[in-house]
Parts: sequence; C-alpha cells; structure tokens
Amino acid sequence: MIDTALPPLPPELRASRPAARRGVRRDHVRLLVIDRSSGRVGHSRFDRLPDLLGPGDLLVVNTSRVLPAAVAAVRASGEPVQLRPCVRRGRAWDALAVQVASPHANVALAPGETLHVGEAALRVLERRPDIPLLWQLELDTDADLELILRHGEPIRYSYVPEPVPLDAYQPVYASRPGSAESPSAGLPFSWELLRAVRERGAGVADLVLHTGLSSYQDDDFDREHRLYEEWFELGEATADAVNRADRVIAVGTTVVRTLETAAGEEGRVRPARGWTRLQIGPGRRLRAVDALLTGMHEPEASHFDLLRAFLPEPLLERAYREAIAAGYLWHEFGDAALVL
Amino acid sequence: MPRAANHGGMNQLQDRVALVTGASRGLGRAIAIAFAREGARLALCARDWAHLEATADVCRELGAEVLAVRADVASATDRERLVTLALDQFGRLDVLVNNASTLGPTPLPLLADTEPEAFEEVVRVNLTAPFLLARAVVGGMLLRGSGLIVNVSSDAAVNGYPGWGAYSAAKAGLDGLSRVWAAELAGLGVTVVSVDPGDMDTDMHRAALPDDDPAALARPEDVAEAFVRLATGEAVPARLEARELLEVAR
Repeated sequence: MIDTALPPLPPELRASRPAARRGVRRDHVRLLVIDRSSGRVGHSRFDRLPDLLGPGDLLVVNTSRVLPAAVAAVRASGEPVQLRPCVRRGRAWDALAVQVASPHANVALAPGETLHVGEAALRVLERRPDIPLLWQLELDTDADLELILRHGEPIRYSYVPEPVPLDAYQPVYASRPGSAESPSAGLPFSWELLRAVRERGAGVADLVLHTGLSSYQDDDFDREHRLYEEWFELGEATADAVNRADRVIAVGTTVVRTLETAAGEEGRVRPARGWTRLQIGPGRRLRAVDALLTGMHEPEASHFDLLRAFLPEPLLERAYREAIAAGYLWHEFGDAALVL
Repeated sequence: MPRAANHGGMNQLQDRVALVTGASRGLGRAIAIAFAREGARLALCARDWAHLEATADVCRELGAEVLAVRADVASATDRERLVTLALDQFGRLDVLVNNASTLGPTPLPLLADTEPEAFEEVVRVNLTAPFLLARAVVGGMLLRGSGLIVNVSSDAAVNGYPGWGAYSAAKAGLDGLSRVWAAELAGLGVTVVSVDPGDMDTDMHRAALPDDDPAALARPEDVAEAFVRLATGEAVPARLEARELLEVAR
C-alpha cells in the first residue's frame, strides 16, 4: 500500500517521450544500481549492465508484443468512447471505458447497450464484480485482434503529450502479441547489449506475460492495487535455464509475476501457461527470482509495491530519494534500476 | 533456364512458419505454393485481395494452414497488423521472404524524367519495407537462435539498365542491407540472403519489358524451388542467383 513517507515524484521527471526522441540511444538511459548486501546505491548506464553480470547469471525477458489497446468505439447515442481491453478471452473482453480526450475519465456504460468498433458490435454485460471499473463486453466477432489493430492506438498517459508510434513501445525482442501496455523494463535493451550480455557468459531466456493496464484512470481506485488475471506462458527451455542458473534476474515485474507463479515451494520452476492472479508485495518470500531489472515506477503503482518484496523499506526509500535528487526519469520511456 | 528437379511433396518444411510478401501473383505466389507443398504454415500478404485469396486457396488445398492479410508493405500500420496477426496465429516466424516489389511507373522513365514521388515510393516498397519487416521479426528469430530472411533482389541491383533507375537503386540498397544483416547476425543462427531470381515470365516483367518473348523466360514455379532449398537450411552466401541453387538441384 502507499507509503506517505515517500515524497511525490516531481512532474518534470516523468519521461515524456522515448529515449531516441530525446537524442539518447535506447541502451544509454541511466541505471540505478541498488546492492542489497552492501546497502549501496550506485549510478551507472544501462549499456554497462554486462559489467555487473557473469557466468551463472540469467536474464529473463518478457517477449509479449504490445497492442494498440486504446480502441475507438461509439456508443448507441453516437458518443465516442475509448475502450481499453485488458483481459481478452475470445469474444469476451474485460475493458476500461474512458473518455476519448485526456485525461480520459471513466465513462459509465449501461448494461445491455451496444457499442460499435468499426463494423463490430460489442454488447455491454455488466461491471466486473471484483473490479467495478472494468466492463464485461461480448463481441460479435472472433477477430478481436483485427479490431484492436484496425481501430486502436497505443495507450498513452498524460505525461506523454504527443502521440508515439507503437513501435516505440516494443522491446527489440517483442514477439507474441497481447499486451495492453509495454513490458517497459525491456525497452532499453538493444541487440548489441544482449550480445554483450551473452559474451560475458550470462544467459538470456524468455517467457510471455501479456500485461494489463497500469492505471484504472481513477487515483483512489489505483491506490487499492486491485489486480486481475494476466495470461502467461513459460516454456520448458526457460524453466530449465531458470532452475540451472545461479542468479535469476527478472527483467520487469511481469517476469517476477510469471516466474513466481510457476515456482513451487522449493523454488523450482515448472513449464506452465494460463492465467495468473498472483499479487506480490512486501513480506513475500521470492522463490525463483534473485534480482530485478526494472523501470522507474511511482510509489502509487502496484509495480512499486512489488519492489517491497525485494527491498527493505529504508533502502527502498533511500534509493527513491537519491534517484529523484539525481534527476532520473520515470515511467516507460525513462531510466532503469537494477536491484541486486 | 533449365527446369528444376521437382522435390515436391517431401514435407521438407513441415511445421516451419513462413511469411511471404507480395504473394498474390508471380514469384511470391509460386513461393507460397511451393512452401505449402512442402508442409510449411504460411502468412501471406499482398495489396490485391482477390488474387491473394486465390493463392491462399491453392495453398490450403495442398493442406497448408494459411493466414492471408491484405496489406501494403509500405504502410507502417499494415506492416504492424501483418506481423502481429502472423505471430498471434503461429506463435513464431521461421522464414521471411521479402518479395513484394514495385517497378514504379511504366513505361519505365529515364532517371532524369523520374518524378521524386515515384522514386521515393519505389525505395519505400523495395528497400525500406524489407528492412522494417526484417527488423520486426528478427527479434523472435534471434531469441530462438534460428531463422531465415530472404530478400528478393534483381540483376538490376548490379547492372545499370536505362529506365530502371529507382528500381535498380533500391535493389542495390537491398543487397547492401542483406550483406550487413548477414555480417551482423553471423553466428547467431539467423541467415539473411539476397536472391536474384533471374528473368521470369511474370506480370511485372511484361510491364517492364513488353517485347520480351515469354517462352524464353523462366517460370516462377521453377524458380520457387530455389527458395525451398534455401528454406530447408542450406548454407548460403549473402547474395546469390536463384539459378545457382537450381543447377545444384538438378
């Protein structure tokens, strides 16, 4: 839950565009290095990551590809509305419904009404009982991916004022489509850097978790950190690599969620696929993941809560304050942090 | 050109997933059908939906799983749609054949008479789009440590034929792209190669050189066998002519 001792993030530290558009190579963003054993907080650059790795280390990345998940729809009244589907099961969507214009306030749909996305009709069933800001919708087509691709644009928050092409939200290794938002911890990787990681003797393994939404567009609701299920797939090769590795470094909180879902009590990971509802926060003993490479998340975000499973509160607070003092940039297009 | 030996029906590409652009007619259609015959699963695209569907139907009749996507490779949103739908359906891509190509306006103008917009369009379709499609799919190939990207080139890439300015420049650029990809990806399991298919009896050839005798030209379905041989995993240099492979095949 939110810790009021932490100061809010200064607005100017919210990265408003991709690194490349700031004239910075994607792998040249800054890297905050938090060493739990020494309690030291250091400053480096992302492309120097291989210096911190060696044989026995395994980076695990999420190869989910981002969809343009802000989908233009029209209500029966003719009023435009933006849908943000975050749980997709064939013809059934759970989606946020928001106004088209920023700041994209939530829109109250009417159960029974029909929305249109292009030619497709979507019937509004009811609010999702456990997360009432999400609407359960029934589509009249199986081609829901086509709908999203034809009528969607990337979900963009208010700190990113100008449209950004979908490509800028994809890590270089993005493959299986399905995420509503970027698994952004992977954005600073270049192939040159991944190659350097391997040349150091460290391994790179992959899995898929399709991310949901990082915000319900409602500050009070966001603070409750209610999570819904996310679809994941962890293959045999990656499970084997994780079980063999001396140190497993999750690239992003989505990878933590997946590996911890697939880990047994004894810490061994099994191949698995399906939906996970695992919530990770303070006090949780991590079974499979030893270290975390992450983007910079605001204290209100559920991702930040997950950091508390890695870091004792005093060190987390010190690292946060130091990153702010040093002018680190936050959010998906910002800098990165490594918790060792 | 001599007829290639027929290796058809051996399922040499069983379960391999191939994306072929410009698959509605000519060489792209022939490659799609040849791949289908060998058991590949196919993502096919073209601007011409009617002819693309016809190609897809032939491939399905051969038992192939086919995703047909109406797409203009020069369009960023179409490319994203194509790659996303293909990865969603098949989970991965093993082979990319960048075959879609345009001559630009015909009759072919001299360079001095070439409109700037026409030049840029040819470069967008024949050079930029193959780069961006390769960039979009190479990530998965590199993580798996295997993949093949074939860029369909032309002898116009290395010869200065009057009237072929934009096409020639773009294809020369494509060869350069293949060489650099190949050098950068050496040892990583992903092969990138430019293939010059040679002169074939296609609609494009007739548009460019209407006076050529079709009977003297190779048939696309024969040349397509060279692409099957590439996709089955032969080691290849960064650029080759299709007939080199076909002569080996005989």
